Amino acid sequence: MIEQLGNGLLLGLIVAIASVSLSLLYGVTRIVNFAHGEIIALGAVLTLFFSSSPESSFLYLDRFSPLGSSFIVSSIASILLCGLFGALLELCLFRPLRKNNYGNVAVLVITIGLSIFLRHIFLLFASAKPASYALDLQKREDYFGIQLTPRNVQVLIIGSVVMILVGLFLTYTKTGRAMRAVRDSSELASVSGINSDYIITLTWIFSSMLAGFTGIIQGVINNVRWNMGFLILLLIFAGSILGGIGTSFGAMFGGFIIGMLVQLSVGLSFMDGHTEAKNAIALALMILILLIRPQGIFGSKERIS
Amino acid sequence: MTSNKLLSVSSLKKSFGGLQAVNVDSLEFSENEITSLIGPNGAGKTTFFDLLTKFQNPDQGNIFFEGENVTSFQSYKLARLGMTRTFQLTRVFEKMSVLENMQFSGSSVKNESISRSLIKGKSLNNFEKELEIEVDKILELLNLSHMKYSYARELSGGQKKLLELGRALIRKPKLLLLDEPLAGVNPKLAEEILDIIKNLSIEGINIIMVEHNINAVMKISERVVVMAEGKIIADGEPEAIRNNENVIEAYLGKVNE
Amino acid sequence: MKDYKRYIIAVSLLTVSFLYIFTSNETGVARIFVNLLTFAGIYGLAAIGINVHFGWTGLLNFGHAAFMGIGAYTTILLIPHALGREGVVIETGLPLPLAVIIGMLAAALLGLILGLPTLRLRGDYLAIVTIAAAEIFRLLIRDFEDITGGVYGVIQFSEALQSLRPNFITNLATSIEVSSSQLWVGVITWILIIFTLLFLNRLQKSPWGRALRAVREDEDAVRALGKNAVWLKLQSFMLGASIGGLSGILLAFNYGTLQVSTFVPVLTFYLWAALILGGVGSLAGPALGAVIFWVIISGTDSLAEIFFENANGQQLAGVRFVFVGLLIMFTMIFTPSGILGKKEELLLDIK
Ligand SMILES: Nc1ncnc2c1ncn2[C@@H]1O[C@H](COP(=O)(O)OP(=O)(O)OP(=O)(O)O)[C@@H](O)[C@H]1O
Ligand SMILES: [Mg+2]
Repeated sequence: MIEQLGNGLLLGLIVAIASVSLSLLYGVTRIVNFAHGEIIALGAVLTLFFSSSPESSFLYLDRFSPLGSSFIVSSIASILLCGLFGALLELCLFRPLRKNNYGNVAVLVITIGLSIFLRHIFLLFASAKPASYALDLQKREDYFGIQLTPRNVQVLIIGSVVMILVGLFLTYTKTGRAMRAVRDSSELASVSGINSDYIITLTWIFSSMLAGFTGIIQGVINNVRWNMGFLILLLIFAGSILGGIGTSFGAMFGGFIIGMLVQLSVGLSFMDGHTEAKNAIALALMILILLIRPQGIFGSKERIS
Repeated sequence: MTSNKLLSVSSLKKSFGGLQAVNVDSLEFSENEITSLIGPNGAGKTTFFDLLTKFQNPDQGNIFFEGENVTSFQSYKLARLGMTRTFQLTRVFEKMSVLENMQFSGSSVKNESISRSLIKGKSLNNFEKELEIEVDKILELLNLSHMKYSYARELSGGQKKLLELGRALIRKPKLLLLDEPLAGVNPKLAEEILDIIKNLSIEGINIIMVEHNINAVMKISERVVVMAEGKIIADGEPEAIRNNENVIEAYLGKVNE
Repeated sequence: MKDYKRYIIAVSLLTVSFLYIFTSNETGVARIFVNLLTFAGIYGLAAIGINVHFGWTGLLNFGHAAFMGIGAYTTILLIPHALGREGVVIETGLPLPLAVIIGMLAAALLGLILGLPTLRLRGDYLAIVTIAAAEIFRLLIRDFEDITGGVYGVIQFSEALQSLRPNFITNLATSIEVSSSQLWVGVITWILIIFTLLFLNRLQKSPWGRALRAVREDEDAVRALGKNAVWLKLQSFMLGASIGGLSGILLAFNYGTLQVSTFVPVLTFYLWAALILGGVGSLAGPALGAVIFWVIISGTDSLAEIFFENANGQQLAGVRFVFVGLLIMFTMIFTPSGILGKKEELLLDIK
């Protein structure tokens, strides 16, 4: 089990950041965005597109690198593009739907359509096989008894910093507070003079950028796949529900627990030879949580029924 | 604590964040009465109804209906015991016809079982026919007969209020909780609704009503309970309430000047 | 739109679809036709199950593949079959009709298990849990190879159904040069669709159906009238699940082998596309939607050939699903009542 601790930390971090981004979007827009996983994948795929070495066979398109093939530059460009994509989604799709009073259910079904569409666009332009960024291979080393590569450690540090920054952003900046105000009650927010259309757009951008970032670090520590968004989406849902949907801190915590759990369960004895089932454990836990404490660990009861 | 009163509550509390929406020490409602619950906006009247009918869970306190502690009951169970409510914001089934709205409310749970619906024997058909006769009577009473086959969303706001009342009536409740039955209703229709409520009371249905139309309240009620900031600040016969200083200060204010 | 107009549109769409098949294929038209109608029928039946959930009750089920799968695996493992990598042959088993009933009950039971924790909660939770359940199901089937055959699947079970095939079906199949076993599955499928629709028609008009519509609109009002909304939803959920189970069984017999890759989560999205296209809430809509959907899908394959020379399987699937995604989005945005759905009962404003 202990040898899985490193992987657990990494996946926990990924799911935690992704859960925060999904949860924030849900809180502010009330949209259960099934296409969120695809925005995560978009970040990963774009980065690959900008930075992969010419001989990589992942993409059918030729590499596009006006910026040079620096991985860092590519990542930043991808994150910005994800933000732009989020803005476009809001402006061209979700805002018109909102103005025309489409109900939550209709919008939910539309996000499902969107996710299928995007995921298979990736399939069309990328190989079905997983691919990796053109980064040099590193060996795992021992950090306080935890096995990680130096790059994994960098990812852990950067990820934690991002998570802290997100927390500070939501707590201390004007925009972050406005987002939380809209999340907690859009009527209240509009009374207090917050332009909720503007805040919602900002939330889309912010949440999509975070999602893109998650995709990139997932690509670094595992690999990039056309359908990476779908699998992680389920874990994010599990994480958000565990922590309490619509809470930021709860989602962070729940996401982290779920990510750890998925990896650590690989080491359990009854899981021997059943590695495929590791995701099933997280999802089963989610169903169990709904049975005994549906509002999640940090959620409030009013939000769920 | 048990009580042989129709409905009673003890130390019922509910707060939202820091706001104490309902804080009622003890209150009893007896049989054969029209009781009105009045109070300023945000006094906690609707929340109190929600607690009584278990649409919200109280933070603490107990509710007794006909001597039985029903605090832990689910809302539909309470409704089955004979406690039926209407909503401040009307809730009719807009995509069903007026007739279906009424039929759904009136049909028994037994007849709504999937097996019975599938076999659909003579007895079920007979029941539905009898039900429709009952529906016709009530629609007649509420002046809605001409809208029987319309979708409920085609009704006017006042007509929806009537339909909601009718939907409650067909359940032959013991206790009817009406949340602002006269809101948005024109004076003539309001008069009619008041008459109907009066008659229901005479027929033995107990009524608790939240209403802001103070003249109507004074005219129809045998007892008036006044709520402010979640607490009961006065309780008594209409005349006494009209002259109660606290009430004048908190609620009636200018009405009496 | 008047009802009859909708049917005129439906019939003309069907005619155009079939003409398209006849003109775009020179050889083996009958085979293509039977293949398409059989698949469309099975998907239609499955979509009818989702319609009971979504159209009648407003429940969001995105894990129908799991219900179909559990129905199929339960039934097939109960009848004589051969299993997995080693091909262990199990020669004894229950009679087929009994196994089918148990399979449907198993699907309903899964509905109960998933519904109990979630149906008390806001609708999105059910969507999340069902989609997760479909994934859990797939992972477990893959992982527990000794029971389920794992990725190697289950084979040699078709006899249980094909031995019941009447001679005239065999003769008909020979004379029009189609696979007799598929023709038989197709015929059974459409007979079952008709029975299911008759059965549902009766239910829809009954007090039970009325209660479901009330639940779909306003659960609180339902509760205030003394009805147990959660129980009604649970019943509807189990009913739709068992219809899904039945369609899964048919799907297995149509393929002739039982593979876990058949019951992947995306299967559910095919069904949703068919349902939304045909008309949410309408009785025959899903079946009609499934037929038109399959014609469109076969059309997308020629579309793929335009974009890619010699499109491989991955590209065919890619184009297909890009199209499915767009279809779901655009139908939901622009004609949410589909071909046969009633505008009055539109689901747009459901919370
Ligand atoms: N779900 C809720 N969350 C937070 N606060 C609430 C909620 N429901 C009610 N409140 C608050 O509780 C208080 C009582 O509300 P309630 O609706 O019971 O008042 P009311 O007496 O029915 O008023 P009105 O006459 O305007 O209908 C109000 O201050 C309201 O803002
Ligand atoms: Mg009120």
